[in-house]
Amino acid sequence: MSEDPRDYRATHGERDTVLTYLRNYRLTFEMKCAGLDAEQLAARSVPPSTMSLLGLVRHLAKVEHSWNRRVLQEDLDLPRLYWAEDQEDLDFDGAVADEAVVADAWESWRREVAAADAWLAAEEDWGRQVPVHGEPTEVRDIAVHLVEEYARHCGHADLLRECIDGRTGQ
Amino acid sequence: MTELETMRRWLADFRTAVERKTADLDAEQLARRAVPPSTLSLLGLVRHLAQLEHHWFRRVLQQHPEETQLFVVDGDWESQFDGAVADPAVVEEAFATWRETCAQADSWLDGLPTEALDVVIGPGDRIESIRDVFIQVLQEYARHLGHMDLLRESIDGRTGV
Repeated sequence: MSEDPRDYRATHGERDTVLTYLRNYRLTFEMKCAGLDAEQLAARSVPPSTMSLLGLVRHLAKVEHSWNRRVLQEDLDLPRLYWAEDQEDLDFDGAVADEAVVADAWESWRREVAAADAWLAAEEDWGRQVPVHGEPTEVRDIAVHLVEEYARHCGHADLLRECIDGRTGQ
Repeated sequence: MTELETMRRWLADFRTAVERKTADLDAEQLARRAVPPSTLSLLGLVRHLAQLEHHWFRRVLQQHPEETQLFVVDGDWESQFDGAVADPAVVEEAFATWRETCAQADSWLDGLPTEALDVVIGPGDRIESIRDVFIQVLQEYARHLGHMDLLRESIDGRTGV
């Protein structure tokens, strides 16, 4: 394993702390997926769960896109990524062992991460409220939620990865 | 909602999720290493979460480093998981201890003003302020809930947050 790219400096204040954790968790997630081929990435390695690492890449692209573009930017009419009315689990169900599907998933994820980063860095007021399921929700709540959602999915990735090739840690 | 209130609500939600993920199972199911080769079990994780709460909220923030780490025998960290055997008494001890540490942490947190999040506890350290400790605990809970999701689904098919 090459050098750990995560940021371990001491952080200061709410934004710096939460955004540093978010960036580190995105890196952790990438590290959990590193060095695997399309078949391994698409493996549903903890049955009966239908999760795979590739499904998680697609799911997290959807998560970043939805919270950033739909919720924070208040455009709820924008269609979700990897989602259809009759296929709510398209992110996981469509995660098949195909190089093009893998490339598309990472491209979407990186694009949405960059867009979300730019937006969150520019959010001056984390007390600003946006509607979530009709409820007013503060930006700070969404920012913490993103960290927790990554953390939970990294928990999934821990076990998926260990069942693929035995690798643990990070 | 203040930043502290936001964090406390997340913490409460995660504890509730742990209760849900471990509900309606017997000692054998709770102790089962349901996703081999991983050595994790739901019971081992409950013991580990008790250790986590106690370490950060009690030993670090309330400055009681003299108290021994929960479920760590002879300095062996793996004993949190290795000692999680299918015995109803072990199960009862794990849940009672975890709930007790949560309640103890809450009663301390109740007296904390929101601006206390900036209080420096370990200058120059990565975990430098009370905020850092809180986020550290929250993200550990979340990651372990991810483990619990897959363990539980493997035990009896139950999914959901």
